[in-house]
Amino acid sequence: MAFLLAVPLLLGVSLLVGPSGIGLPDSSTPSGQAILSLRFGRFFMGIMVGAALSASGTVFQAILRNPLAEPYVLGVSGGAGLGAALSILIGGSLLGAVGLPVTAFIFAVLTLMAVYGIAGQGGGSPSVYSLILSGVIISAICSSVIMFLVSTADIDGMHTVVWWMLGNLQPGDLREQLVPLFFITVAVGLLWMLAPSLNILTLGRDMAHYRGLNANFVILASLLLATLLAATAVSMGGMIGFVGLIVPHVMRALFGPDHRWLVPASAIGGGAFLVLCDAIARSVMAPVEIPVGVVTALCGGPFFLVILRRKMSNAWIA
Amino acid sequence: MPGSREMSTNALSFRNVSAGYRNRPVLRGVGFEIGEGEFVSVIGPNGSGKSTMLKTATGLIRPDEGRVELFGRDVASLKPRERASLIGVVPQKLDSPMAFTVSEIVMFGLGSTGRPWGMHGSKELDSVERAMIYTNVLDLKDRMFNELSAGEQQRAALAMALVQEPRIIMLDESIAHLDINHSQEVLRILMNINRERRITVLLVSHDLNLAAQIADRLLLMENGRLVMNGSPGEVMQEELLSSVYGCELRVRRDPFGGHPVVTGALDTALRRPALRKRLHVIGGGGSGIELFRRLSIEGFEVSAGVLNQLDSDAEAARALDIPCALEQPFSAIGNEAFEEARLMVSEADGVVVSAVPFGSGNVVNLELAADALRAGKPVWMASGIAARDYTVDKAATLAAERLRNDGAVEWSGIHELMTRLERDIKNRQ
Repeated sequence: MAFLLAVPLLLGVSLLVGPSGIGLPDSSTPSGQAILSLRFGRFFMGIMVGAALSASGTVFQAILRNPLAEPYVLGVSGGAGLGAALSILIGGSLLGAVGLPVTAFIFAVLTLMAVYGIAGQGGGSPSVYSLILSGVIISAICSSVIMFLVSTADIDGMHTVVWWMLGNLQPGDLREQLVPLFFITVAVGLLWMLAPSLNILTLGRDMAHYRGLNANFVILASLLLATLLAATAVSMGGMIGFVGLIVPHVMRALFGPDHRWLVPASAIGGGAFLVLCDAIARSVMAPVEIPVGVVTALCGGPFFLVILRRKMSNAWIA
Repeated sequence: MPGSREMSTNALSFRNVSAGYRNRPVLRGVGFEIGEGEFVSVIGPNGSGKSTMLKTATGLIRPDEGRVELFGRDVASLKPRERASLIGVVPQKLDSPMAFTVSEIVMFGLGSTGRPWGMHGSKELDSVERAMIYTNVLDLKDRMFNELSAGEQQRAALAMALVQEPRIIMLDESIAHLDINHSQEVLRILMNINRERRITVLLVSHDLNLAAQIADRLLLMENGRLVMNGSPGEVMQEELLSSVYGCELRVRRDPFGGHPVVTGALDTALRRPALRKRLHVIGGGGSGIELFRRLSIEGFEVSAGVLNQLDSDAEAARALDIPCALEQPFSAIGNEAFEEARLMVSEADGVVVSAVPFGSGNVVNLELAADALRAGKPVWMASGIAARDYTVDKAATLAAERLRNDGAVEWSGIHELMTRLERDIKNRQ
């Protein structure tokens, strides 16, 4: 209950806080209007990116039955990042507003396929360990390529990519946000619909099969949807860590492992968490803005550690 | 196949099925039928394809060749939901990494057969409760599944399978690793299900005795092939099992249930270190073999000699890894072998003389017994030596007389010997 009350409260706070000072900006003045719309844009970005990362992490953890699984560990974020970086540097405007998230998604799916391909060398379905191992390898390769691209880019491009990589929720054109909004809403909604199947899949693929589930289809569908979420989030906000890994655990500790609650709770929790972090990022050292990716782990870490220490037994017993 | 049951439908039939994993075929040309209501157990050594067979039966693995039918329908053509309403599977170990409660886990058995999005109606919830009562896990319903004992987890997994209301239940070595109290409880539930609800049971098991005790029929697998399909009495044959399992096995009848019981020859090895007493056996001509066996089983270390090479006792001693002082075949016992045997006697805690015939070649062995008596060690000697004395001057009979006077105990049957041994050795301890 406290959680449900806390969410709108946090969101309210984030609208009131910013580098220009604390308090609701006077909407009668043009500058106040600008500030308000800017803050609202940031709020909107934070909600979307946080929800996408966190929901994606929840699903990866369920499918792989591993508490360490998340978009980063599987290389999905790295691949999406590479796609996004390429798209930024070479010019993603080729595909218009859809360009960035779609390129990121395509790269993320390619990465996921590569990870599965490498991990599944032995034949049969790959083990979680080999998946994570090859995910880490592919991820490292992707970030090397990104580094290379950055180092050879011109100053402008370098600045854009680095700033984007550090995690940045500065909204662009409002219309550009409609495509990600659509992707994220649809993907979270579909994953929510798959929640009962995700519950059964936590017992493993074979058990899900025995329970009358089309296990391979559910696994494929949810992996693709989770990848779409991660790729969209990366293309919007850059490489923001921590949210996809820890928020699902905290939500599981608070609400239990049932994905019918967990998927929406993770989405809302992840969104609220990122909005709050963003509010901190842009206010503490105003007018200098700290990258939100720095704040997530720095502030979230200790807070979540306390929750997990108290309630880990609700979350994961392996 | 037992003819007493009506076999109108086959619950499961394998028609010449070959199946396996990529690059690794496991099942080769397996064919059998299981009638509805039967209790069948699949046995076979590790790696013989038992679990692969179960995965093929449930459609998890598609056969490369042949056909698997469930109640007359090709498994591959069944929709997932239909399949789940026919088969319930209890895995070897159900592993739930996340903190689901027992009732949540059992409810997973409703799978997608419940209402959309897992909102179950009262009918489904009733069947969940029924299954939990039946498997005796209702008291545990709010406990975390992972915190249960292995037996409780297995019962909950069984409840989950029952909730599906399947017509055949398959268990993959789900019972063998449980403690006896837990395995008995799960078995009793299974037998009830089979008898009262006429649900077919297919139990994959590596516990032969358990399988023979409860199953109507056994399927014996070896190297991906079905080598025997028949009643427990037909399958539990010493020679067949020994060759399939690649080790020496013995089969006898259970004194209470009458079902066949298999034991390994391992017991000799396992019990040996318990006593740490060594007995030296003076035998020959096959008179010592039963002694070797029984003494080993009773936990004694055994040495033997002097024996002639190729003598049947010597061969048995070699097979049983019993240290043995040996003389050339068909020769009188010489000094070297005798001294070796004397050394063995000096390390032994006693000497047993078997009902061996004595001639001039081996009568010298009785001096070993005399040695032992002099050293204060007990000697147990088979009675009636005079009838087996082929020496010219009745040397063996005389020697036996001296031994008796010096304290050697006579025995006339192996049972008597064993009771005497037990008494004497225990008194000494």
